[in-house]
Amino acid sequence: MSVPILEMTGLVKTYETGATLFRDGRVARVVDHVSLTIGRGETFGLVGESGSGKSTIGRLALRLIEADQGEIRFDGIDVRQQTPEGMKRLRRRMQIIFQDPFSSLDPRVRVGEAIAQPIRLHGLRPPVEVSGRVAELLDLVGLAPHQAGRYPHEFSGGQRQRIAIARALAVEPDFIVCDEPVSALDVSIQAQVLNLLGDLRDRLGMSLLFISHDMAVVRHLATHVGVLYAGTLVETGPAADVFGNPRHPYTRMLLAATPNPVPGLRARGAEIDGEPPSPYHRASGCPFASRCTERIDACLEARPGLDEWTQGKHSAACFRSGELPHLVPLSDDEAQMAEPYRRRLGLLRAARAQART
Amino acid sequence: MSSQANPGSFTETTSSPVLEVRGLRVGFAKSVDIVDGLDLTIAAGELLCIVGESGSGKSLTALSVMGLMPSNGRVRADVLNLEGVDLLGLSEPGLAGLRGNRMAMVFQEPMTSLNPVMTVGEQIIEALLRHRAVSRAEARDIGMAMLRRVHIPAADTRFDMYPHQLSGGMRQRMMIAMALVCRPQLLIADEPTTALDVTIQNQILRLIDELRAELGTAVLFITHNLAVVAEIADRIAVMYAGRIVEQGSRTDIFDDPQHPYTLALFAAMPRASDLGQRLAAIDGQVPQPGSMPPGCRFAPRCPFVIDRCRTETPPLVELSPGHKAACWRAPLERNVA
Repeated sequence: MSVPILEMTGLVKTYETGATLFRDGRVARVVDHVSLTIGRGETFGLVGESGSGKSTIGRLALRLIEADQGEIRFDGIDVRQQTPEGMKRLRRRMQIIFQDPFSSLDPRVRVGEAIAQPIRLHGLRPPVEVSGRVAELLDLVGLAPHQAGRYPHEFSGGQRQRIAIARALAVEPDFIVCDEPVSALDVSIQAQVLNLLGDLRDRLGMSLLFISHDMAVVRHLATHVGVLYAGTLVETGPAADVFGNPRHPYTRMLLAATPNPVPGLRARGAEIDGEPPSPYHRASGCPFASRCTERIDACLEARPGLDEWTQGKHSAACFRSGELPHLVPLSDDEAQMAEPYRRRLGLLRAARAQART
Repeated sequence: MSSQANPGSFTETTSSPVLEVRGLRVGFAKSVDIVDGLDLTIAAGELLCIVGESGSGKSLTALSVMGLMPSNGRVRADVLNLEGVDLLGLSEPGLAGLRGNRMAMVFQEPMTSLNPVMTVGEQIIEALLRHRAVSRAEARDIGMAMLRRVHIPAADTRFDMYPHQLSGGMRQRMMIAMALVCRPQLLIADEPTTALDVTIQNQILRLIDELRAELGTAVLFITHNLAVVAEIADRIAVMYAGRIVEQGSRTDIFDDPQHPYTLALFAAMPRASDLGQRLAAIDGQVPQPGSMPPGCRFAPRCPFVIDRCRTETPPLVELSPGHKAACWRAPLERNVA
């Protein structure tokens, strides 16, 4: 593998809350020694529950917030050592897309202008070519160039997300952090945005850090996956390995909790109990032990590292990873659907193919 | 506001339904009807899912039933009955006597529907004090029992907490406790798990399922997530642009989907069998309320479209007992070459 696009090592981020002049506050450890590597053209899916530190890691990667400890290398460059000038140069190469495109687009700025701003800021095109480039970008994300004169509120949620993507692409980045980009979207719009992100990766060779709590979406887009629990990576590896052979009880729980669109397949009784621990309270043992069905005494005493279980590039931070039975919890193949379902989806696909020719 | 009774017309349920809606039309002052002639019934203990995309009229339907439409809203129906009581014939005080009592609603975002300056316990017993002849002490006991019922650990300390002191999952449990404390006949849940993690979603879905079985509550569950529907629905109504396009039991819809829109929704879902392939998005966009196409509203996006679809609105026709679809071309294998 060539130089990875992003390499994070031993990242720690804490927040202190409630501090006053007279007493110390409480320290919340939001990201706790996370290391991860994203290769060129890869899509790293980061999954976990709210509060697991997913979004914080995305922001740390772009240095939108400062880490307490750890190293971040972008294309070999030490991000945390950059001057503001150096950061500005780097930011042209790294972008972020948020969950809610409405709050990340200025309602008073026409979308064409919103896309043109970063092009001018970084001097990427001579002034006369900017509007042509905006039209090109709108076309790339499936919008009509004449829509450049409209305001964000004139677009639907899915279109706004595509505008946010067009703006991120305006600087021709090598790397985009996508923070829950499809969570607020309907399934058919979600499909459009996922297709677009996949195309951009494949055609422009971009690398993505894709943050989501939706396992089916991550499975679809990611080449690699990291599962985050209470600020630590508990399982990581190629997507096919993590989804095909999950080795951490938490990954297995997330997959078991994911609703399956094959009715009657899953017993309704999958027991998903408890909530993540408070970030103010760092357990000495495994952070997942309190909710884990596989817990043994050792789990309460020592914290397993990601080197506890490894097979090729797939690792899990669990003492029991090697003993867990094989399991593919998210089995939602179309083959499992009834015959009339498959027949009619076949008719739909045939009719669509015909309509396009 | 006509309310002509239409007895004997409900065929889906044997006993009389908790909620009966016929010809519901909802719109705003100047616009055309956004919800255009909706029929549905829900029996006691039954869970009906309304599925559809943003703008399909799912939430307007719920708000109309609850009598919570904004003042510029316009709600008309041939029948809009809760346990045989005509909701459209009621005055606002009459409706207020039913809300939180005979019918209750849970919203997507508990933080915006809970009062931030009132303890959750106070908010839970508010409905009891209003609708039941109970003392504060009795109300507190019932409220506390309800918190245990929705599996809130350490219920007695949490009772006196404020919403911001609770996690998102805990807040949604509080909302459900608040909605169910008077044991309503009808619970409307509008995307109640959309903002939650899958683990918490799983807990809340189990809870709703458990409570409706135990209390016999009729549930109208609104969601855009077909996988959630697969897990909890007894019956399903698929809505598109203000109309029900397909309706049936969970088995009908998942094993034998008929309407092209239902098929298109299914096709857009990422499944294990689609890995490495493009997802099948639906071409085009949901029509705007002001520019609804004539005929079938899905026609401009439908690959099976024929001329008739663009001029004549297809009626919701029963294809097998309880399974209806509004499509000129259903069943597809007979009508599509």
